[in-house]
Amino acid sequence: MSEKIKDNKTEQNNQEQMALDDGRRVKVLSPGMMVFKRFIRNRLAIAGICILIFMFLFSFLGGLISPYRQDQVFYKIDSANKEYAGAVVNTDYRFVAVDGKTLSTMVRATFNSQVKGKAGDSVTFTADNNTYTANKVDENFYIITSGEELGTVALLGKIVDVQAAEGKEISAELNAAAADAAKAGQTSFELDGAAYSLTRDVGKNYKLGVMKEVALATMLNVDTADPQYSSVAGSYEFRRNCETAMHAGETSFTADGVTYTLEITSETDASVTDASGNAIANVSNIIVNPVTNGVILPADYKDAVADAITNKKTSFEYVNANGETEKHTIQMRGSTYIISTIQQTHLIDMYAEPSAQHLLGTDDHGMDVLTRLMYGGRISLLVGFIVMILENIIGIIIGGISGYFGGWVDTMLMRFVDLFNSIPYYPMMIIAGAIMDSFEVDPYLRLYMMMAIMGIMGWTGVARVVRGQILSLREQDFMVATEATGIKVSRRIFRHLVPNVMPLLIVQATMGLGSIILTEATLSFLGLGIKYPLASWGTIINSASNIYVMTNCWYLWIPAGLLIVLTVLGFNFVGDGLRDAFDPKMKR
Amino acid sequence: MSETGANVLEVRNLCKYFPIKAGLFSRVVGHVHAVENVSFTLKRGTTMGLVGESGCGKTTVGKTLLNLTPKTSGEVVFNGNVHLDELSGKQLRAFRPKIQIIFQDPYASLSPRLPVGEIIGEAVREHHLVPNNELDAYVSKVMKSCGLFDYQKDRYPHEFSGGQRQRICIARAIALNPDFIVCDEPVSALDVSIQAQIINLLEDLQKEYNLTYLFISHDLSVVQHISDTVGVMYLGNMVEYADKTEIFANPLHPYTKALFSAIPVPDPTVKMNRIILEGSIPSPANPPSGCKFHTRCKECRGVCSQAVPKVIDMGNGHTVACHKYDAESGYDKEEA
Repeated sequence: MSEKIKDNKTEQNNQEQMALDDGRRVKVLSPGMMVFKRFIRNRLAIAGICILIFMFLFSFLGGLISPYRQDQVFYKIDSANKEYAGAVVNTDYRFVAVDGKTLSTMVRATFNSQVKGKAGDSVTFTADNNTYTANKVDENFYIITSGEELGTVALLGKIVDVQAAEGKEISAELNAAAADAAKAGQTSFELDGAAYSLTRDVGKNYKLGVMKEVALATMLNVDTADPQYSSVAGSYEFRRNCETAMHAGETSFTADGVTYTLEITSETDASVTDASGNAIANVSNIIVNPVTNGVILPADYKDAVADAITNKKTSFEYVNANGETEKHTIQMRGSTYIISTIQQTHLIDMYAEPSAQHLLGTDDHGMDVLTRLMYGGRISLLVGFIVMILENIIGIIIGGISGYFGGWVDTMLMRFVDLFNSIPYYPMMIIAGAIMDSFEVDPYLRLYMMMAIMGIMGWTGVARVVRGQILSLREQDFMVATEATGIKVSRRIFRHLVPNVMPLLIVQATMGLGSIILTEATLSFLGLGIKYPLASWGTIINSASNIYVMTNCWYLWIPAGLLIVLTVLGFNFVGDGLRDAFDPKMKR
Repeated sequence: MSETGANVLEVRNLCKYFPIKAGLFSRVVGHVHAVENVSFTLKRGTTMGLVGESGCGKTTVGKTLLNLTPKTSGEVVFNGNVHLDELSGKQLRAFRPKIQIIFQDPYASLSPRLPVGEIIGEAVREHHLVPNNELDAYVSKVMKSCGLFDYQKDRYPHEFSGGQRQRICIARAIALNPDFIVCDEPVSALDVSIQAQIINLLEDLQKEYNLTYLFISHDLSVVQHISDTVGVMYLGNMVEYADKTEIFANPLHPYTKALFSAIPVPDPTVKMNRIILEGSIPSPANPPSGCKFHTRCKECRGVCSQAVPKVIDMGNGHTVACHKYDAESGYDKEEA
């Protein structure tokens, strides 16, 4: 207790002493604290610091927060009435050969010409040394048969000699029937449901042939509903029976031992389902093809088109695979029908206005401008700092040596600086940019190269400042005094010279940062600096060189310009503030 | 520390020429004869005043003595045996505390980035003059003896007035416990009341620490007040050197006479008998032949422009460099 009182007493004493002692009233601050205190009293400098903090957060944190990548391209979905399919009413015969056989082109051509001449009847024609008979089943539907040689029949008076051809057998019944027919002078006969022909050959010799179906000719087209049914629907028997049934108006047919249901919508249009109700195929005289390659039109779509065309509708609705109803319109163009529909296409979302997704819209590559600005800020600030550090390292070393040693060293180095200063900056950068363009340098390597070139080209100013400052300081009385008091050289440099150069350097560097950022922006604007996919504020402003963007898309270039202006302003404010703060002659 | 009376400093024929460079390759085209054949000795505990008009080489003498600018020729011997130019860099640094300098401009001679305590204590620590834990107390003591307050230790030079700054400069020199201090016009930048304070401070410190001063000034009344001996310089040469009382009572050299006649007398009734010197000081790069003063001397005769006058000892430590007092020069035989 007593101790506490004593403590209080001494404290009071101390306070009194301090109160009495004029010198104690002013709080003693370390030089760093003094600079800091003076700095934060400067409103402009604080504004500058705030701007810079914002820029750094914006650039380095913004990139992390932004949901988009810097090179993410955005697409927009656009609806357009586009041609989707073309349809044509088939007016040519299509031939389906019996399974395992083919029908030669000659036969097809002969058939076509024969049928055209004698419309509406069965025709017999010869092609490839074979006789074909096209049996008309219905309009535009023929079954083509051909005689297959079985042997020869020779009439020798009363004797009929039936000889089988090589590799063929003639049954006794057929033998008898053929003989009878030959005797009677018939050219054809039927036996057990099969038709046979006797073709007069030479004299009283006849060729015995059996009439076999070789192909069918139709104007209808079968589209399988599903690729798995293509073999089923592709079989000759299926086609033949299906179309026969269709022409006969029947609702079912049997092919290959399976019974199918046939739903006839019109004379030329029908659809086939199997017993379990699966759609197998669609038969129609309308051929539908997609406009774009690689698109497979589903059978039900083709069916819908065919229905619409046969019913002479100008539009129809179709439920697509996704369950959406699409409206298709049909236009007649020449002999073909053009089916068009409103289609959704993905377009690069260029020059999008600011929206909730893109607060500052999108640029000419369809990239989010805000995100680009964030990543661009990283590059711009990074370039500024690295180039500044590079310039200062070189400048301080060269300027320091020049100033401290003086004499011929100084002369040599300063002439070297003059030499560097007389290298034209922009032509150099343009040449360097062109060289890097021609070598197709990686964008990141290009960035580093650019920083190196800018640093190497820009150190002369720093060197001159440092040299001048050190030269003048070296001759100051307080430097002579350090010599007179016998202080070590290293201490003289680092304790007396450097602290006196440092403030100027810091101010210079801070101010210089702004101009470096401007230079980088200029170079990037000219297309010599940062390249896609990297961005910098300069490249973003570059889009304003397009007059359309300049006049219509303020959100593309004004924010980038503002960021540059603000950053440079911020650096200059901070630089000014630092200069004032470092100046010991400033009032507290 | 050797006793009072021993020679702290002996200067013999000190010369300092600055080369004049010109042309593309900085060819040396001539020399500025800043100091020529200056000789004197300084006893411990005494003050030598060095006077002369601007540009006569007073400051150069001071700096050359301390080897802050290397001398061209001559000898400077401290404490009887120390030749600064023969010391290695390290030895020279170690000897530096013994010889200090106080500059003319108190504003330029203090590093603006260091607090006062650091300015004063820096070299003390550097040379391990006191143990590190006593450094702070030592600095306080030195500051106190120079009329500074303890609490000013952490302040920066810009917070002080000119007089206070000069005290700091003095404290910096005193802290190193020197034998010899070159006071290079320490009061010329200060106003008269402060001048008196600083002069008194210097005198007090001299008594306290048995210091030896080379007091460079162009202010004769200050020199008259503080000095034991006085040297008068003209254009790099020391033209007259004597005890203070002797030289002020009996100036011999025509230049000294002219200089001293300019001392204002604080009595309006006294008619001042001023000797006005015609013309301005000649260029030290191209000094006049013979006696350098002959271009402005009223008592100039033929020999003066031809022969360099010898230094004549007039007795009682009074030396003068003038043909007038040299019987062998033939000055007397010529007509005025």
